[in-house]
Amino acid sequence: MLQSKMAAPCGRMATRSLLHFLSFSRTAVGVTGFRQFSRTSVSRATSQTQSLTGKASSPWTLMAAVCLQRLPVVSAACSPTEQRFREMMLQLELEKSLLSEHELRLLEDAERMSRKQADDYDSDEEDERGDQEIVLAQDLEDSWDQKLKSFQPAPRVTADVDKDLSSVERCLATSLLLLAQQQVGGEKLWLLPQSQWQDGETLRQTAEKALASLPAAFKATFLGNAPCGVYKYKLPKAARTESSVGTKVFFFKAILSDSGPPAAPNAPFLWVKKNELQRYLKPAYMMKVDRFFLDL
Amino acid sequence: MSVTLSRCLCRVLSRQTAPPSFLLGEHHHTVQSPWFAPVMTLKTSAPLRAEPKKKKKVDPRREQMLRERMRKKLKKLEKVPPELIPIEDLITPAKCLDETRERSAPRLSFEESEGQALLLKEWCRYKQEQHIAEVEAVELALEAQREALAELKLESEELYQAALKPDPLLFPFTHEGPAYTPPKTKYEAPDGKYNNITKVYTQ
Repeated sequence: MLQSKMAAPCGRMATRSLLHFLSFSRTAVGVTGFRQFSRTSVSRATSQTQSLTGKASSPWTLMAAVCLQRLPVVSAACSPTEQRFREMMLQLELEKSLLSEHELRLLEDAERMSRKQADDYDSDEEDERGDQEIVLAQDLEDSWDQKLKSFQPAPRVTADVDKDLSSVERCLATSLLLLAQQQVGGEKLWLLPQSQWQDGETLRQTAEKALASLPAAFKATFLGNAPCGVYKYKLPKAARTESSVGTKVFFFKAILSDSGPPAAPNAPFLWVKKNELQRYLKPAYMMKVDRFFLDL
Repeated sequence: MSVTLSRCLCRVLSRQTAPPSFLLGEHHHTVQSPWFAPVMTLKTSAPLRAEPKKKKKVDPRREQMLRERMRKKLKKLEKVPPELIPIEDLITPAKCLDETRERSAPRLSFEESEGQALLLKEWCRYKQEQHIAEVEAVELALEAQREALAELKLESEELYQAALKPDPLLFPFTHEGPAYTPPKTKYEAPDGKYNNITKVYTQ
């Protein structure tokens, strides 16, 4: 459907596709839409070149940013309801189950011990193995417990690492987002790493460039060619010119696969959880980023 | 039949030949030696009567037909449908039906059973809220993407088309999910050994 609309709008299809444009764009970008549309309606043959030059004449500068996410490494802690439900389910399952081999063996051993300790014990009545060493099931259990204690797993929650905002290892149970400090206009802001779009490359390549331009070596898998969000801002009226009204930043999602060697402590990075975003991002920016950064 | 005919002829001729010798020589009382066969009987004696056996063309074909029929019957008999492989998960093992394995079910007090029922309902509500939140979050994310694509289309057609193209290098994509404890750095897992007793069926 979209393809047929965009197939080089000609003069006579002008009004119809214009209406489509206006209904499609929810923001007040009607002016730019008009301007670009009138340019592309010249002729079919030059439509390709028109789109490139049409871009150049659009007043918005394009930038691509990467939304690098570190997915949770450890399962989340149970909430109180979940805890209670879990206990109840375990208890129910235990009640409804049958006795296992190990439990039967425990019961048999206990019975044999009680028979042995009774006063009228006659070893000749025992009709099983005589001279073989009988390994009690309880002993087996004890040896298994010992083995488990000798293994020390890594801790799930480390309080001091959690406070270090620039470490990738913090808050292993939630997903984290990478923020970098960049110079925009006159001030240093915390943003998702972004870089300017150059002619001749796709926006995703721009995002990959943005990721590579960071001092740390992050290996990430980009999820598809389509952007997941957009943020546009108009420059203050004083700085506005004919050719640059504002900037559109397109966000691309990526999943961190390897964080590489730990970055220097003063590196301008932050790994933040969803609820900490508000502290570092500007409100309008945060509203847009909040939508596609899922913390499920 | 030709043999009997020749025999009759033989007898007739021998009768015919006998009298001339009788007539010829009353002084000829020679005993006819058995080896001295009369000329007339030459062509009709048993060994010379034997003709080379005619090759009956129908016979080999008939034999072939017989063999084919036998083969077809054998094939039909051998066409047994392959035995179905039993799904071991769906067969209740006999051990589970053993009565000695049953646990003594504990009697729950009224409060406990009430508490369990209420907890189940609370859980249901909790899960429903979680699900609704999830669905809303996904809807928001989709909305954000739709908006981004609309803005991109307004900007440049070429970039929009490039964004719509599927990424062939993305799949297969694997990611290790969360475990209970984080992985230990420089941990050497001990080698384990196991006996694989799964039954392999061949049809």
